[in-house]
Amino acid sequence: MKTRTLTPPACPMNRPDAGVTPPPGSWRLSWALGERDYSILIERRACFVCLGLLAALLAVSLLSLCLGTLTLSPREALAGVFGYGDPVSAFVVQELRLVRLAAGVATGAAFSLSGCLMQTLARNRLATPGIVGIDNGATAFAVASVVGLGTSLAPPPMALAGAATATAITFALANDVGTRGYRFIVTGIGVGAVFGALTQLLMARVAIDTANAAYPWTVGSLNARDGAALVWLWCGLAIGLVVACYLSRAMRILRFSDAVAQGLGYRVRACRYTALVVSVALAALAVAVAGPVGLVGLIGPEIARQLSSHRGVSLIASALSGAIVMVAADLVGRLLLAPIEVPVGIVTAIVGAPFLLWILLRPAPRFQS
Amino acid sequence: MNSFAAISSDASLSNASPSNVSPDVAPPLAARQLSLSYGRGSARRTVIDALDLELPAGQVTAIVGPNGCGKSTLLASLARLHVPDQGAVLLDGHDIQRLPAREMAQRLALLPQETHAPEGLTVAELIRFGRQPHQSLFKQWSRDDRRVVDEALAAADLHALADRPLDAMSGGQRQRAWIAMAIAQQTPLLLLDEPTSALDLGHQLEVFELIRDLAAAGKTLAMVVHDLVSACRFADYLVAMLDGRIVAAGRPSDVVTTALVRDLYGVECTLMQDPATGSPLLTNIRSARHSRG
Repeated sequence: MKTRTLTPPACPMNRPDAGVTPPPGSWRLSWALGERDYSILIERRACFVCLGLLAALLAVSLLSLCLGTLTLSPREALAGVFGYGDPVSAFVVQELRLVRLAAGVATGAAFSLSGCLMQTLARNRLATPGIVGIDNGATAFAVASVVGLGTSLAPPPMALAGAATATAITFALANDVGTRGYRFIVTGIGVGAVFGALTQLLMARVAIDTANAAYPWTVGSLNARDGAALVWLWCGLAIGLVVACYLSRAMRILRFSDAVAQGLGYRVRACRYTALVVSVALAALAVAVAGPVGLVGLIGPEIARQLSSHRGVSLIASALSGAIVMVAADLVGRLLLAPIEVPVGIVTAIVGAPFLLWILLRPAPRFQS
Repeated sequence: MNSFAAISSDASLSNASPSNVSPDVAPPLAARQLSLSYGRGSARRTVIDALDLELPAGQVTAIVGPNGCGKSTLLASLARLHVPDQGAVLLDGHDIQRLPAREMAQRLALLPQETHAPEGLTVAELIRFGRQPHQSLFKQWSRDDRRVVDEALAAADLHALADRPLDAMSGGQRQRAWIAMAIAQQTPLLLLDEPTSALDLGHQLEVFELIRDLAAAGKTLAMVVHDLVSACRFADYLVAMLDGRIVAAGRPSDVVTTALVRDLYGVECTLMQDPATGSPLLTNIRSARHSRG
């Protein structure tokens, strides 16, 4: 016999869903609008992890405002942020370090969120924009813009175009992503190599000064940031975070096989393509600010995954971890051989390459079927 | 079972009506002239060929046939995992290609053959995913959700294992957990692709008995089964496929003949009746080539 639950009574004092015990480890927030009940579940651990990461990010940020050629105390640095204190430190903090910090936080978060989305949609921890050649595509186009080759477009739109081109080529050659994530990665590595060579070719064919101007684009540095590109990135990141929150339920389901996800009523292709577009756009906008520091897209999500539970896909935690890694790497790069500055891309590569090896050598059960 | 048949009879909107439709009860799920092929150009291979099928309401249907006969593809098409070249699958008389994904998931649940879960996921967490089609961004957990998850745990006899990670369970328990997830979807229809493959005899029985319980509770089920004898024993309705077509369909004791077994699998056998249940048993199996000489 099929039993049907009674339709809930309209009386707002007696809502049927009021006070339902949430699943273990979650908080249930509920509210009522008119005659309908609404509820969302918040996972406690995810909440704590994000708060912890936020605190760590604030700490690293403060450190990065304090340290440098001119060392400030935290009090002086904070005074500088809000525009009082002595004019020299205010100038250093506001004009130099704060903008650099904003660039570091935004690029780190964007690369990492982008990486986490792509890893999930391709069901492979190696599938990040940096590995599958999207960063290289964006870089090649941005460098073409810097050396003034056939276009007057600024680097950010060119980086977007380059990322889109690299993705489209990879997609066409790999015949879709998803069930064959491995094929997507291998194809992406090939496409990335071609774009990398293209960048080198462009650099070799222009005058030395132009090549110097384009150089930061090829290693990844927060020194060559461009104000307009940074505004673009922050806008993109804000949109990306909202979309990521919306997608987080679908992303949880995408960890299952396609058949299971479809059986649960998800339009798998649509979810994948939305996530892919957000991921590629974020990577491209971040490249337009800092160049290819794509390894952050690999390290950030991995840190978030280690901290979080298996229940969800830790998109926000990934963004926060990425921002921490970026700011910390930039700080190390600035201090390591001061007054010479080591580009942040080189620092993340030195840390990231062993990390990549560790991922490859470690048994990787999480995304494998 | 009868109460369910009464519910689904409102689907008599079905205007495509081949001669074999019984006039009183429309089938909950039917395939009409369904054709499907893989590959492109010269590599194109027809997997399902103008196939007609109706699942009897409230019963267990078993789809059997040799490897590569298209039985898994048929099941996947019934669950809209493939887009047919021609023909249609009708759910309560409506073409499933036109149904919204969510609505479809509220009416039909699928247990695919390849199921892997994220590492560390527990039984209760898996079953909660079954509530997805009934939830939305701002309706994530209701009293119904909680009750249905509890009921699904009870139906699959998994209450004691609710907080155990799936990786740490036996094959039979894991399969029961997946079926419990499908139960939590609260669909009148459930499709299972080889639910007992890679399970030993005892675990197979666990799963088949759960399937019988669900049919007794009024669900319509269809499963792809490798083993003909199990199919005969646990299904009410047997569909035998060969080369993308249905060669026989009906009650197992009616359709299973030595000729059918020879056609399907290329083996000769002696058919007997199970003295306890009356279902067909295959004995003295030998290769058809040798016996023909």
